[in-house]
Amino acid sequence: MIVCEQVERCFPAATGAVRALAGVSVSIARGEFVAIKGPSGCGKTTLLLALGGMQRPSAGRVSFEGRDLYALSAPQRNRLRAERIGFVFQLFHLVPYLTVRENILAGLPTGSDVGAAAARVETLLRQLGLRERAAARPGTLSAGERQRTALARALVKQPALILADEPTGNLDPANAAEVFRHLAAYQQAGGTVVVVTHGNDAAPYTTRTLNLVAGRLVEADRPVNTPVNADQPIPSL
Amino acid sequence: MSLADLILRELRHHWANALLVTLGLVIAVALLVAVKMTTAAAERETRRVMRDLGFNLRIIPRATDMDHFWTHGFSDQTMPEEAVRRLAASHGVFLSFNHLTPALEGRLDVAGRPALLTGLGETIVDPNEGKQPMGYRLKPGQVILGRAIATRLEARRGETIRLSDREFTVERILGESGTDEDVRIYGALADVQAVLGLPGRINEIKAIDCLCLTADEDPLAQLRAVVEKIVPEARVMQLTVLADARARQRQMAERYAQFAVPLVLVVGAGWLALLAWLNVRERRAEIGLWRALGHGSARIAGLLLGKALVLGAVGALAGYALGMWIALSAGPEIFKVTAKSLRPEPILLFWALALTPAFAALASLLPTMAAVAQEPAETLRAD
Repeated sequence: MIVCEQVERCFPAATGAVRALAGVSVSIARGEFVAIKGPSGCGKTTLLLALGGMQRPSAGRVSFEGRDLYALSAPQRNRLRAERIGFVFQLFHLVPYLTVRENILAGLPTGSDVGAAAARVETLLRQLGLRERAAARPGTLSAGERQRTALARALVKQPALILADEPTGNLDPANAAEVFRHLAAYQQAGGTVVVVTHGNDAAPYTTRTLNLVAGRLVEADRPVNTPVNADQPIPSL
Repeated sequence: MSLADLILRELRHHWANALLVTLGLVIAVALLVAVKMTTAAAERETRRVMRDLGFNLRIIPRATDMDHFWTHGFSDQTMPEEAVRRLAASHGVFLSFNHLTPALEGRLDVAGRPALLTGLGETIVDPNEGKQPMGYRLKPGQVILGRAIATRLEARRGETIRLSDREFTVERILGESGTDEDVRIYGALADVQAVLGLPGRINEIKAIDCLCLTADEDPLAQLRAVVEKIVPEARVMQLTVLADARARQRQMAERYAQFAVPLVLVVGAGWLALLAWLNVRERRAEIGLWRALGHGSARIAGLLLGKALVLGAVGALAGYALGMWIALSAGPEIFKVTAKSLRPEPILLFWALALTPAFAALASLLPTMAAVAQEPAETLRAD
């Protein structure tokens, strides 16, 4: 599903260019639940953003479903992201002036049939325990509720891939486990998950862990869980 | 969710921010409207005060004995009254002259002692400008008396006096002026022509120049060229001190307006641009989020520019109302002579409504484009 070939990314800095990614090559198949682990500043988030078409690499190539992401025009990449990739951020990034339900709907691509998606939104609200909070604004939600809203927003369009950047970084262990359970359920239903994490809390759910040190992929842990059948349809919770 | 819906929700949610931005817009627009109105009022006031200084051009018969003119104060020669109409009817004459008033002046013995008699015809002004004729307006049979003449005749307002066997009603008695006005009698031109035995004749056309050139710019040569072409039997004399003071004052008022209005415009525009920039900067994370979700640049730009347009329109309306209120409240106290000319100016509302939203959107455009052009990751990382 995603293939990274010799991906590099440099950032300008006062002391010269900082190399966040130094030739990362990795292939992630459909149905995998992959964790990217490593110390702070090792390039985990940069790799995740590059995989999602949000950060152009300085060198190398990222392919998604056979298409070179950065050879696409910006509108084409936007469209692809809107339709096929869901994001979950550590800081939730909910729109503060929209309700929980509206934030979830904001995850749909522009021009989607909102009426047709309404039933799916209600299912997500129920499954993620947000039904009672559907009309609330993010400012009144707990951290766990915010992250579940962000997760629902990523899931509502039934993406092929979910990229999650330390989705449990601001959550207590119980809420963190709940988020991972939902991600695992999505993966078990045929989706693909790539999650950036500091610790081992994702380990029970992942099929593979990539270890990143100073922008280099040093080793890949053996799969613990089994990837789902790649021929399954795009998941719907 | 529609773009308009998103804009309104964002405005409602960040109402304090929207209020501050709108307040900034209101203050900027109000300042502009108030300064524009009061500057225009100051120019009007200056023109009126300068005009009230009196005529500064004297068009007299070319054959005038200038020794007589300077010692007596009027020409010893006459020209036909129709000369003033000929002058007024000439194309472009009002580019150089204003307020053309035919006059006949002479000496007359009143109660055994000399007096000056001035007959004033109807003032001709530029029909396209609708200016008010200046000077005294007298009906046939009416006179205005200088202070010394009134004392000499022991005449009061409304009483009848006799001049060369003709009776006149005293319309008004002037205050003591300390000039030859004190021994002057003003009457209607036809009456004075009859008294002096010079029907259909005048010996002066009083006027004001409107070239507004100072003495060092030699306005007299230009005025003389115009008159010699149209009324060859006449020549122009200019009261240069008065004309120069008028021109300098007027130019000063215009220079001040040219300085004040752009200054306020630049300060107001800078203020608006700063507010717009701050607003976009504050929403960088939101811009990054919309982009991460795959929304197109046009929709995100519409979200930010739409807000700028809405706040711009509200700011323009409220700013116009506030600026107008300031100008109409303070103006009459400052510009007492032309106080009645201060009125609401709908054209300023039109310009405020047209330009403020456009400028607010324009000021937002650069930071918006910069934010939209960035990789979504950059704007999200900046949060």
